[in-house]
Amino acid sequence: MLLHPVYLLTSVIAMSFCYLFFLTLMSEGLPKQLPIGIVDGDNSSLSRTLERNINASPQVEIVAKYASFTEARKDMQKGRIYAIVDIAPGFHADLLANRQPSIAYYVNDVYLVAGSLSYKDLTYISELMSGFILQQSLQAKGITGEENLMPLLQPITMDTHLIGNPYTNYSVYLSNVLLPGVLQLLIIMFTIYAIGVEMKQKTTREWLSTGNESILSALTGKILPHSVLFTLLGLIGLFLQYEVMGFPMNGSIALMSLAMFLFVIAHQAIGIFIIGLFQRLRDSISVGVFYGLLSFTFSGFTFPIEAMPRGAQIFAWFFPIRYYFKIYVNEALNGADIRYSLIYFAVMFAFLLLPFLVYTRLRNTIMEHDKEEIKNCRLNEQFQ
Amino acid sequence: MNNSSKPKFFFRLLHELRRVIYIMLDEYRIILKDSGLAVIFLGATLIYPILYSSIYRNETIRDMPIAVIDESQSARSRELARRLDATPDLNVAYQFNNLEEAKESFYKQKIHGVVYIPKEFSQKINRNEQATVSLYCDMSSFMYYRTMTLGANLGILESGKDIKIERMNAVGITGRSAEISVAPFRYEKNILFNEPMGFASFLLPVVLVMIIQQTLFFGITMLTGTLREEKLASIDPKMRQKDKFFPTIFGKALCYFSMYIVICSYILLAVPRIFQLPHIGNPLDIIRFFTPFLLAVIFFSMLISVFIRNRETAIIIFPFISIVLLFLSGFSWPESNMPWFWRSLGMIFPSTFGIQGYLKINSMGAGLEQVKFEHIALWFQTAVYFLATVFAYRIQMRTAAK
Repeated sequence: MLLHPVYLLTSVIAMSFCYLFFLTLMSEGLPKQLPIGIVDGDNSSLSRTLERNINASPQVEIVAKYASFTEARKDMQKGRIYAIVDIAPGFHADLLANRQPSIAYYVNDVYLVAGSLSYKDLTYISELMSGFILQQSLQAKGITGEENLMPLLQPITMDTHLIGNPYTNYSVYLSNVLLPGVLQLLIIMFTIYAIGVEMKQKTTREWLSTGNESILSALTGKILPHSVLFTLLGLIGLFLQYEVMGFPMNGSIALMSLAMFLFVIAHQAIGIFIIGLFQRLRDSISVGVFYGLLSFTFSGFTFPIEAMPRGAQIFAWFFPIRYYFKIYVNEALNGADIRYSLIYFAVMFAFLLLPFLVYTRLRNTIMEHDKEEIKNCRLNEQFQ
Repeated sequence: MNNSSKPKFFFRLLHELRRVIYIMLDEYRIILKDSGLAVIFLGATLIYPILYSSIYRNETIRDMPIAVIDESQSARSRELARRLDATPDLNVAYQFNNLEEAKESFYKQKIHGVVYIPKEFSQKINRNEQATVSLYCDMSSFMYYRTMTLGANLGILESGKDIKIERMNAVGITGRSAEISVAPFRYEKNILFNEPMGFASFLLPVVLVMIIQQTLFFGITMLTGTLREEKLASIDPKMRQKDKFFPTIFGKALCYFSMYIVICSYILLAVPRIFQLPHIGNPLDIIRFFTPFLLAVIFFSMLISVFIRNRETAIIIFPFISIVLLFLSGFSWPESNMPWFWRSLGMIFPSTFGIQGYLKINSMGAGLEQVKFEHIALWFQTAVYFLATVFAYRIQMRTAAK
């Protein structure tokens, strides 16, 4: 009556692997020492100072110096460096002569994360440099002391609060949604398979007898142990993230656990719905994979739903992972009051209605399979 | 003697070739007759690229809604709010009187950032002091964070520059030299290869290569599993001479390869042009690069399928691997910052090199010379997986014959 033990073992192994993989892959949090290149055509004391300043920053690291921009670009196309700093000849001289020279930064945004981060750092270093130069010329004019210099250098300062993720830990962004994402893929596929395989292998007779001929109890008997297993796997994930990895948790871990439990049973309900609607195992599996993979897109954790075309936005409603994501943002990152999340809990709960929509259809199919099996049994008996 | 053996050899070769063709056609017949296989090989490869390209069409966030809390209520603070609103990134959707009101909208996820301008903002500026503005960023998505910091930096730096120049004037630096003092040198940003800094241009090329590998993998494993279930215990169901596994391997591989030449041309060459994704690579280089990629994926899948007993086994267990493989390719979390053991694991799969090679040729315009490492690695994988497949088929057929 249970799903084949191989599949149960597989789900445990798959989840354990993914926990290990995603939580160690990005354990650095924010990528450090991103390799970049420099073309220093000026080779002056000033350009060398800039180079030193860049290397002093933890985010980027100059790994190569090039004689020409073409050379540097070729290395960028090889994927060796994510950004190029190009300082033209005469930079220092132009600066001293007040000709406002410029530095060119070339950023490879094909690697969006590495590109964005290295550019952000280069901008920051440039601002510091130009502040430093301004400071020197002001001091030459006799303006000294921090309280006199700073208002001139930086009239408006920014005090930035990164809510719930103060160190812009990239793993927090991704793992919090990717890991439940993997879990829902396994849940949907295994739920579809567990039911579909009975019809495919013509073992509904045996299955029904375990549930005292009642489809409802046969179904719950099959699904309930999975709920326990998958919820357990999900809770282990929460434990690893918030307790072991120290991911931000500004709300209640109990509510997150409740969300995880709802997340699991909502996806089981979706699995039952799919097999009930499409009946045949092979079709249901294709639909299940399709849906499960789209979940990653429609959670909206990488590319926001609002930025999608209107027609696509509607689909986000039909994915429980969307609501799980919202609850996680409210609880773990923002530490918002539960009343902001109630609606998301309710919608996830509503997914449990799905199996009832296909209940009669599923029952009829199973009964039909059952009748056939009984007939076959009788035939066999007659022959014997 | 030498003369007579030559034609003999020639006829044998012809005979073997006929068998290869026969098996290839047989494989085609199986795929077209089985709706499930046709959905994977022909449906998924056609639909997925269109679907993903449409969903991510907008590339980036424009006018992200934020709130401004302006306690200063001065000309200066209103100027700053206008500057923020004028950036392409941000849209000041709400003006609130205090942080509590802003929190309400923030928790409802209606706004993705808050800029707080304190009461003493304009006084401080008028008194020649440093004024502080507080920024609150929604960190639920990297895109929100990036848009907020980009837009706010732009707006605040612009406002700051005006004030700087006023103050320079006050200490006697005026005109052009004030401008130069404020910015002694300029720095210009040049985005290479992904001009719109867009999400589609970043993600889609990666997904396209993954679609090719995964449909081949799931298709081949499903096909083999189905034949097994239909009690055709051997991998080579009909043709069906013992100990002759070379024609089977070549015949099957030729079927997938010829089919995917067409599919790859659509996915890798046509789709980027139709959906305006990056495509500055030389198509000939892409074809030459993806030849070993296809072969490596085909033999890899044929090797794994030796262990598959049921039609559904692979597609139930392995979809999650697609997500892992995406990250192993190093398109998101940079390859330079991956732990060595995960980087080594990535080298087992053709997708790691396929994705890197495609990004470099197609998106960055690299020549074949610049992706030599990936190209050779794929040929190496082809050789290894081919030999392993031959070995596995040999054992398989020997045991089946007994």
